[in-house]
Amino acid sequence: MRAALLIAGKDLRQRLRDRSALLSAIVVPLALASIFGLIFHNVTGGHLTFTFGLVDQDHGQAAQAFETQALGPLERGGLVVVRPEPSLAAGRSAADRGKVAATFVLPAGLSAAIGNGRTAELRVLGDIDQSIGVQVAEAIAQSYASRIDTVRLAGAALGSTTPGSVRTASAVDPIRIADVSTTSRQLDAGTFYSAGMAVFFLFFTVQFGLSSILEERRDGTLARMLVAPIARSAVLAGKLLTSLALGAISMAVLALATHFLLNAHWGNPLGVAILIGAGVLAATAVMALVATFARTPDQASAWQAMVALVLGMLGGTFFPVSQAGGLLATLSLATPQAWFLRGIENLAGGAGAGAALGPAAAILAVAAVTGTLAFLRAGKLVAR
Amino acid sequence: MKALTIAANELRRLLRWRANIFFLFILPMLIILLLGAAFGGSGTARVGVIEGRSGPLARQFLAALDARPAIELRRYSSATGLQHAVARGDLDAGLVLPAGFDSRLRGGNSATISYFARPNSVAQQVRATIQSVAAEQGRLLAAAQVLERARGTSFTQALARARAVAVRTPRVQVRLTAPDGSNYIATTGRFESGASTQLLLFIFLNSLNGAAWIIETRRLGIARRILSTPTSLRTLVTGQLLGRLAVALLQALIIILGSLLFFGVDWGNPLGTAAVVIAFCLVGTGAAVLLGSLFSNEQQAGPVALLLGLGLAALGGSMAPLEVFPKTARTIAHVTPHAWANDAFSKLLNHGGDLGSVLPQVGVLLAFAGVAITFATWRLRRVLTA
Repeated sequence: MRAALLIAGKDLRQRLRDRSALLSAIVVPLALASIFGLIFHNVTGGHLTFTFGLVDQDHGQAAQAFETQALGPLERGGLVVVRPEPSLAAGRSAADRGKVAATFVLPAGLSAAIGNGRTAELRVLGDIDQSIGVQVAEAIAQSYASRIDTVRLAGAALGSTTPGSVRTASAVDPIRIADVSTTSRQLDAGTFYSAGMAVFFLFFTVQFGLSSILEERRDGTLARMLVAPIARSAVLAGKLLTSLALGAISMAVLALATHFLLNAHWGNPLGVAILIGAGVLAATAVMALVATFARTPDQASAWQAMVALVLGMLGGTFFPVSQAGGLLATLSLATPQAWFLRGIENLAGGAGAGAALGPAAAILAVAAVTGTLAFLRAGKLVAR
Repeated sequence: MKALTIAANELRRLLRWRANIFFLFILPMLIILLLGAAFGGSGTARVGVIEGRSGPLARQFLAALDARPAIELRRYSSATGLQHAVARGDLDAGLVLPAGFDSRLRGGNSATISYFARPNSVAQQVRATIQSVAAEQGRLLAAAQVLERARGTSFTQALARARAVAVRTPRVQVRLTAPDGSNYIATTGRFESGASTQLLLFIFLNSLNGAAWIIETRRLGIARRILSTPTSLRTLVTGQLLGRLAVALLQALIIILGSLLFFGVDWGNPLGTAAVVIAFCLVGTGAAVLLGSLFSNEQQAGPVALLLGLGLAALGGSMAPLEVFPKTARTIAHVTPHAWANDAFSKLLNHGGDLGSVLPQVGVLLAFAGVAITFATWRLRRVLTA
């Protein structure tokens, strides 16, 4: 045991002295988490306000109703900003140059056509690059058109044309929509990327462990260790301890740093500690298993990088794969990264440590399977 | 001529290392596939719905909603399951139709649908769409309710009459067009935006990773040995630059052809795309040689390459579209070459632009490349002769 600790201590000192370990275990994940958190803050959590242009060539009742009844409430709610455009050309150019997501065009004679029961047309000029805003604009215009149609249809069914009924259009609304507030259990951008980057780079951080045996073999130091009165299992244990310690240090530092610097909400500390513990075990086990297949340290680091990248991508550390549904979402659940993020999601809502136990068990299952396989194969790494 | 030999040798070194098949080919394709699956047709929102014991009116409402291209409906049976799925982000929004949906409407009342979503921009888009379907469906129902009240007929009869009248009543149409009046083409296929943004990410990332090879060339003394032969420093530096450019172009070619073959990605005007890609590869070349001459060990250059490769890509709109960036962030984004190249691809792929329309962006990219290559050349000459 003492030999194992000595080996681990030596390796740890070596890694910490070498600034590259510090770079990839702490600096790079922290920097990427802050960049991603800043950029994607608006995408995942923020409120988007759409800017629409309005070209009023009608100047009548219908145009007024559109402004006050269709756009007014949305404007007051801060969902849209309406820019009146002086001419059709100005409205076109605003949508073309991306100044607005879409321009509504209320053509001349719209009120007259509606009042006289003729067909009428509203136009929406959409910016090709802002498809989300364009869909919202189209839906707003369609709602308005449907309401006018409702009044006209009711009038026609009763056998009377009711000119000037535009104003009453908003009165009838058989299907209503009530907003029920939901608490979001999706992580905010800062927390998601802090946790995502931390667990993504964890798999790179722990790769030093077993694969450093391959380095020692290349450099000839392994042979010297093996002829010394040290059990082969102690060499393996020392190397694994290095991985576990590096992984735990990096995760702990990242969790604390992102908590204070990026305002990430990791949730219950005990729960986070359980998840980190399970995550470090799984990462070490997976990377150790990969190392047992390699013959040279270069080969090991290349294969480990591949496995870490694929598991990280599938596990949704960069973008939420579970959204895709189907096979990909199922595959995603085979990765410890996905369970780690799920555990953090559970905790972020303010739940107690118990909420982390399920995901932690799933991570430990991965650790047990890969760890057992690695254990069975590890002997050949330290063969004399 | 000798410079070409050096460049060819660099390319051969890269390809001989078989793990690079993964990094140059499999990884980019995998990510394009994942992005396409997760965000493909980014206009489509997944809405979960609970029908309750629904009648024909409720079914009709849902069918109309499902017919909208922006909405993809998924049925749920339990309210908690639905709420969890929305909270986790597996769904964009949830709808619960009340059990008495049909009976309330038939009774001349209004029926209320519960809508819940996470507070974000997609929720606004989905809500606007559902509202418009409700208004569209409400048209016939309201007319039928008015008829029923005025004439005292049964709701079924009134609805049938409203339907019959609706066919000959003129309607208010909404016509969506592009600003110039042409058809609004709801952007491109599932994989297009993922493919073009990942093309940039990988050209740049793998270029930067190439810095390790330059460092190795220096560390193993290959550079010194080449210089001891009758080869000028200029030739050696040119060879290194050409070698990096060849790798960047190879990566570009792999992604363009691969995505074309596997995902049927339409790369737009060939000349325009070629100009943007070559200009961007030159930027990558400059950055790679610069990084390779600034650091003296591979273990340090590696993480820095990863940081710059992913960080600049995220800043420049290669991870989330620039469309969703706030205004100031969009301006800041343009310190990265990625943002300019993404602008160019938006012109080429979404607006059907040609070479002429992307000349400004290509110009800016060439300026980036010029600065990077000049600085890299100066720096590499210094470290090689030190």
